[in-house]
Amino acid sequence: MSGEILLETREVSKRFGNFVALKSASIAVTAGKVIGFVGSNGAGKSTLIKVITGAHAPSSGSVHVRGKEVHKADPALMRALGVACIYQHSSLVATLSVIENVFLGREMRGRLGLVSHKAQRVQLQEIMDDFGIHVDPDVLVSTLTPVKQKEVEILKALVANADVILMDEPTAWLSLSEVSNLHTTIRKLTAANKGVVYISHVLDEVFQICDDITILRDGTMAWTGPEADIDRPKLVNLMVGEALGEASRAAVTSERRPRGTGTVKLATDKLSKQGVFHDVTFEVNAGEILCFAGLIGSRRSEVVKCLFGDDKPTSGTIISKGGVKTFGSPAEAIANGICLVPEDRHTEGLCLSHTTFENTVIPSLVEVTNRGVLMRKDMDAMCTRQITSLNILPPDPAKVVGQMSGGNQQKVLLGKWIEKDPEVLILDEPTVGVDVGAKAEIYAIIRKLRDEGAAVIVVSSDLEEVMTIADRILVFSNGEITTEFDAGEVTNDLLIHAIGGGESA
Amino acid sequence: MISKIAARVPNGGLIAFFVVMTLFFCFFARNFATATNVENILVGYSFIAIVALGQMFPIMARGIDLSIGSILALAGMVVFDAILIFELPGWIAIILAIAAATLAGTLNGLFIVILSLQPFVATLATLAGYRGLVYAISGRQLYPELATTPLRDPSLAWFNEYYDVGAWFGLDAFITTPWIPASFLVLLVVMVFLYVLLAKTPYGTALKATGGNKEAARLAGLRVRMIEVSAYAMSGFLAGIAAVLLVARLTTSTEALGIGMELTAIAAAVIGGTRLLGGQGNVLGPVLGAFFLGVVLIGLTLMGISQFVQQMLTGAILLAAVGYDAIRRGAGQ
Ligand SMILES: Nc1ncnc2c1ncn2[C@@H]1O[C@H](COP(=O)(O)OP(=O)(O)OP(=O)(O)O)[C@@H](O)[C@H]1O
Ligand SMILES: [Mg+2]
Repeated sequence: MSGEILLETREVSKRFGNFVALKSASIAVTAGKVIGFVGSNGAGKSTLIKVITGAHAPSSGSVHVRGKEVHKADPALMRALGVACIYQHSSLVATLSVIENVFLGREMRGRLGLVSHKAQRVQLQEIMDDFGIHVDPDVLVSTLTPVKQKEVEILKALVANADVILMDEPTAWLSLSEVSNLHTTIRKLTAANKGVVYISHVLDEVFQICDDITILRDGTMAWTGPEADIDRPKLVNLMVGEALGEASRAAVTSERRPRGTGTVKLATDKLSKQGVFHDVTFEVNAGEILCFAGLIGSRRSEVVKCLFGDDKPTSGTIISKGGVKTFGSPAEAIANGICLVPEDRHTEGLCLSHTTFENTVIPSLVEVTNRGVLMRKDMDAMCTRQITSLNILPPDPAKVVGQMSGGNQQKVLLGKWIEKDPEVLILDEPTVGVDVGAKAEIYAIIRKLRDEGAAVIVVSSDLEEVMTIADRILVFSNGEITTEFDAGEVTNDLLIHAIGGGESA
Repeated sequence: MISKIAARVPNGGLIAFFVVMTLFFCFFARNFATATNVENILVGYSFIAIVALGQMFPIMARGIDLSIGSILALAGMVVFDAILIFELPGWIAIILAIAAATLAGTLNGLFIVILSLQPFVATLATLAGYRGLVYAISGRQLYPELATTPLRDPSLAWFNEYYDVGAWFGLDAFITTPWIPASFLVLLVVMVFLYVLLAKTPYGTALKATGGNKEAARLAGLRVRMIEVSAYAMSGFLAGIAAVLLVARLTTSTEALGIGMELTAIAAAVIGGTRLLGGQGNVLGPVLGAFFLGVVLIGLTLMGISQFVQQMLTGAILLAAVGYDAIRRGAGQ
C-alpha cells in the first residue's frame, strides 16, 4: 500500500569511542517514495545506513520495521526483514563470479537443499531483462570495471526482492546515461511500492529523483521535508554552513587562464598504447589547469598512468624538462617533478589501515631524512601543515584513514602529494564522493597550486567539475583526443555534445 | 581452440604438465609404468591428497593450518591407545581418532576467531601444543612393552585391501590393470563429498566469500566467524581420516608421525592452484598436486636420483607452479 511506513529509526545515535557520529536521528522510509540523505563528508549518512542494515549496532534508539521494533539487528536479520543495501564501498567478493555474488547468502535451493544453479540463472536473466542491465553472469567480479561492479551490486539488491532498498552513493562511478538508467530503475521500484533511500553528493540528482530530503550535519538532522519545500542554495547552506556555501558558489565564477604562463611543463607527441589509446598529443603549461573530459572508460586514466611511468606506451614520446623521457617507473616520474593522485583511493592511493600521519609522509621520506635517519620533528610539522592547510577532519594525525569519511580521505591523499611540491600534478577524478564544501576547498587548493606555477592535469568525468575548474579542456573519446576548448568559450551544452554518449542531466 | 578448452577445465595447465611428466618417467624410469608402481603411488599419496584437501579449507578462508602434522599424530596416537591399551574395537578407535582430530581443528578455529589471532600464529602455537599432547598420551611411553605390538584389527586392516577394479570392468583381458587400494577409494569418496559441499551447497560459496572479502560476506548476512571455525574443523577432520589410513598402513603409530606434513600439504594445495590469498579453490587441485608430487618423487627415485636433488626439485616445482599462476593471472588482466 502506497504511503505505508516500511521502516523507521527512532532517535538512533551511534558513538565510535568518544566520537559521536550520529545523534538522535529519526527517519521514516515510505512505500513508493524515495528519500534522499544529503550532508557533507563525515555527516553520518553512511553510519545511519549501516545502523539500518544492522552492520552497526546503534548506541541508543531503535529501528522499527513495519511498526515493529527490531531487537538485536544484524545484517542477516535485517535482510530477512526485506532491507537490502548498496554500500558506498564495494561489498562484492572479487574472487567470486557475478552470479555467485548476486546470490551470496540467499542461494536458491533445489532438490536435497543443494544450490540450484539453473534456477538462479533464470531468475537473474529475468531481472536483468526487466531492468535493462547486462552483465555476463559467469565472469569473476575482479575483471569488471567499477561501473559494471555497481550494476552487480544493484542486481544483488534487486534479486533480494527487498521492500526497502538503501543506496549509498550508487552513482559515484556512473556516467550520465548510466545515472539516468539507474533513475529509471528506481522509478520502477517505487512504482512497485518499494521504499528507496538515496545518497549522493551530486545535488542535481537528489533534486531529480527524491520525494523527501533529510539533511544531516555533524551527525544531527538539520532539516527534513518534501523536496519541493527546499531549493539548492538553502540546502547547501544547511549542509555546509553559509561561508562554505558561498565559497562553493563563487568557485564557478573564478577567472580562467588558458595556457597559463606559456612555459610548457609536460608534453606528449603521438603517445599511443596498442589497443588502448592512440596519437595523444598535448602540452600542459605552468600555471594552468588542463582538464581531460570524457565518458568513464574513455582511457584517460590509462594515458595518465603512462605519463607517471606506471605503464609503458607502445609508441610516441613524452617530453619533460626539455628532453624526451621514458619513465620506467613512478619513481623516475616523481624525480622529474610529476605526481599522480590516482583515481581509486582505496586500492591505489591510501594505506587504509594506517594513520593520516603515515600516509602523508610516505612519498616524502627522503625530505625528512637526515643522514639516513628519519626526523620525527620534520615529519610532525609536515603532517600538521597538511592537516591545517587542507582542513582535514578530524585534525588528528593518529586517526586511521580507513575510519575517516570519503572526502577527508581524499584530502589526505591530496596532501600526501602536495607535500612533494610537484611541478606537474595529475589528479584522476579528484572529487568522486566528495561533498560540495570539501569540493570547493579542494578546488581552492588546486587553484592555489596553479597560481604558484604548477601545471595541473585533472581527469574528470563530472561535467560540473570540468566547467568549474578548467582553464583548458581536452575531450577524450575512446582513447583519442577529439576536441579542445578554452574554458571561457565553452558552454555546458557544447561540452556535453562534444563528450557524446550521455544525454544532458 | 585447445587453449579455450584448457581455460574451461580448472587446473588444465597442471593436468597437461602432469601427463607430460608421467610420460617422461614412463620412458626414462625403469619400472615406472608397472601396475605395482602405480599401486605404490596410489597408496603412498592418497592420504597426502586427503591432508592437502583439508589444508585447502583454511587457505580458502584466507588462513592457514600449520598444525595438521601434529593433529595427524594426535589422531594416530588415539588409534594406538584405543586399540592396544583400552582394547576397543577398531571401528570405535577410528571414530574416536577422527573426532579428536576434528576437535583439535575446531579449537584452532576458536582460538583464531575468539582471540582474534592470526591463523599463522595460532596454528604455529598448536603445532607445538598438539605435538606435546601426543607425547603426553603416548601409549608407547606409558606401556613400553606395547611399543612393538602391531595394530591388528579387521576394521583397520580393511584400509590395506586392494580391489581388482580392472577385472570388474573386464579390462584385464586387454591390459594388466593395477589393483586399486582401499585408501584410494576413501580418497574418491572424500572428493565426491567435498565436491558437493563446495560446488552445490551454499556453504561452498560462503567459504569462498569469507576468504575473498570478509566484510562483504558479513554484510551479506553470512556468519563469517562460524564459517572460519568450520574451515579449521574441516582441516582437522580430514587430517583425522588421513591419520587412520596412515596408521593402518604402518600398523603402528609414533610420536613423530606427520612431522613436516604441513609443508607437503601446503605445497600440494598450492601446486594444485589454490590461491594463498584465499577465496578460491576446487577439489581437483590439491589431489592433482599431491599425486603430481608423488609421480615426480617416485619417478626420480626409480631413476636413481639422490634425496637432496629430489628436495631441490620439489622446491623448484613449487616456485614454478606459483610463478606460472601469477604470470597467467597477470596476463589475464
Ligand atoms: N568504524 C569507525 N570507527 C570510528 N569512526 C568512524 C567509523 N566509521 C565512521 N566513523 C566516523 O563517523 C563519521 C561519520 O562517517 P560516515 O561514513 O557516516 O560519513 P558520511 O556522511 O557517509 O560521509 P561521506 O559522504 O564522506 O561518505 C566520520 O567522522 C567518520 O570518521
Ligand atoms: Mg558515506
